Amino acid sequence: MTFPSLIRILFVEDDLDIQAIARLALEAVGGFTVNICSNGIEALESVVAFAPDLILLDVMMPGMDGPSTLQALRQIPQTVQTPVIFMTAKVQNHEVALYKELSAVDVIAKPFDPMTLSATIRQIWENHYG
Amino acid sequence: MAEGGSLETPNIREQFLSLCQAYTQELPQRIASIEKIWQHVLEETDGQEALVHLHHLIHKLAGSGATFGFTSLGDIAHALESFIGSIIDQGKPLTVEQHQQIDTLIIALGEVAIDCSPTTAAFPVQPQASPRLPQSELSERLIFLVEDDFDQAQAMMLQVNYFGYTVRVFSQLAGLREAVATTPPAAILMDIMFFEGGLAGIEAIAAIQQERRQHFPAAKPIPVLFMSVRDDLVARIQSVRARGEAYFTKPIDVGQLIDKLDMLVSHHAPEPYRVLIVEDDSTLAAYYALSLQQAGILSVVVTDSMQVMSPLIEFKPDLILMDVYMTGCNGLELAAVIRQQEAYISIPITFLSAETNLDKQMDAMSMGGDDFLTKPIHPQHLIAAVRTRVQRSRVLRSFMVRDSLTGLFNHTKIKEQLSIEVMRSDRDGTGFSFAMLDIDNFKRVNDVYGHLAGDRVIKSLSRLLKQRLRKTDFIGRYGGEEFAVILPGTDSLTALQVLEEIRVGFSQVRQQFGGTEFFVTFSCGIAAFPQFRDTARLNDAADRALYRAKHEGRNKILLAED
Repeated sequence: MTFPSLIRILFVEDDLDIQAIARLALEAVGGFTVNICSNGIEALESVVAFAPDLILLDVMMPGMDGPSTLQALRQIPQTVQTPVIFMTAKVQNHEVALYKELSAVDVIAKPFDPMTLSATIRQIWENHYG
Repeated sequence: MAEGGSLETPNIREQFLSLCQAYTQELPQRIASIEKIWQHVLEETDGQEALVHLHHLIHKLAGSGATFGFTSLGDIAHALESFIGSIIDQGKPLTVEQHQQIDTLIIALGEVAIDCSPTTAAFPVQPQASPRLPQSELSERLIFLVEDDFDQAQAMMLQVNYFGYTVRVFSQLAGLREAVATTPPAAILMDIMFFEGGLAGIEAIAAIQQERRQHFPAAKPIPVLFMSVRDDLVARIQSVRARGEAYFTKPIDVGQLIDKLDMLVSHHAPEPYRVLIVEDDSTLAAYYALSLQQAGILSVVVTDSMQVMSPLIEFKPDLILMDVYMTGCNGLELAAVIRQQEAYISIPITFLSAETNLDKQMDAMSMGGDDFLTKPIHPQHLIAAVRTRVQRSRVLRSFMVRDSLTGLFNHTKIKEQLSIEVMRSDRDGTGFSFAMLDIDNFKRVNDVYGHLAGDRVIKSLSRLLKQRLRKTDFIGRYGGEEFAVILPGTDSLTALQVLEEIRVGFSQVRQQFGGTEFFVTFSCGIAAFPQFRDTARLNDAADRALYRAKHEGRNKILLAED
């Protein structure tokens, strides 16, 4: 069984330190092409041009939070189907269910392990298309 | 698919480390800006907006702190984040308690930001063990925690760490069997539900124990404590069949967990019995000593009856075995002299003599002897006689000198010990430190959570003291929420370092009661010998330092001033 290939990832997160760690985790460890945005608005502006295969969204961001960003993304024709993974601290089961209802494919718990983040994402990707 | 680990190159590791260093350097600034915003919250009439800002900053700190492996920082920040979040949700002005709680947590943040170092798998750093005092039997304190939920594992590791255990976390079942085979831990904390199945944890343990039985038939099974959200009979029965020692349902009460761990992993092997032999015939004395030694009983021999006092203080025997007829002074007189000192009223004295006259034996008893053994005595009888007497005397003694709630020394005993320590240090020219600790705002814990919660807090501090201090230190419950500690051979600065570590640790312990969590701190004053030369001065100086620490805002340790 073949999956669509996963190369380009848009990472949306307001914390600069976590951005830096994630860039290493995804680019250096995972070998992905990564574009990082600091908030939902930025993400909406750059998403069409970058054309990501997958979007990672922090849940709690000032201004426009993860879930609202996701809803806005679904209004854009190019990203109606793009798989989105939420990232959040303290993953509760009912929250996961809620996020999935919002069409997120999965939730990754923060803090993530930078060494295994890419593997986790690939696993989710395969499960999603498997 | 490639595993994350195999992609790991030194270069990437270095980059992570340098990011981590940069983050570490910036931490104090972050804490400072959090403190600043907190001031804004307090100063402004409508602090709501500033509070939202504060909440956001702390949320970020919780996320980044945990990402960079500052587990305790991340933990405290997370607690603070949810606490402030709930206050924002209520939309009411801050109460005094809320104010104080936030204050405490922000102070704690500042402290761990200075103290702690990253501890994630990505940057493996040994979890902090108490570094200043020599710590023995590290492997005996090694605990394997098998838990696939990262957050839960981190939180629990931190809590169990505070009580002096070294925790190694396994996020999956793979690799556990091999690890147990190479370094068998003192106990395993085992989640039950894993990705492999709803009872996978129990099955894995059953396999491990069976393998151990095959390879080492004589070895005892490793104690396993199961923990799960499952509370059904099937899981419980399976866990019993896998010889689980305990079963905890989540959320786990850490206090109970530690109690159980302490019980299973008895890090203090029972102290060998100690016997002081007073016998002027050195050959005979050596023969007794040898007989007792073969039964694992320690002994010290005194052949000159005039020299009996110093081994009494130094060696701290459980029992005195004394010849009745000695040159210099006879055993009966000596017993009477020993009994005149309050500290030795309860020590069992057993006479050894060729005397078979019952009247004379009774006479010996009236002088303070507890028992009379007739020479010559068979070594087995001697051992049996000594054993039963020491056993009983230890039990009785523990009622007399121990506090019933904590098992620490009681007020009388710790004061007595203080005077013994003064005498000894005076003679040896060594120093020691005496510390008085008092739990902060203890009345409030009792008022808000009830007396049972108060007792739990007292027990948790006593447990922490027992585990972090050396076996040779003396820990007492002075009364109520007050504790006293004697650290022999320790100057005041070293004592400060040691207790400071305990203070920080205690402030981070999640006190759990009736489904709620809260944090408690203590203040402490330290006075050292010979700067303060007698028990009254030591007591007074430590007490005044403690009072100053309270006065300066609590959660603080101060050294006594002249």
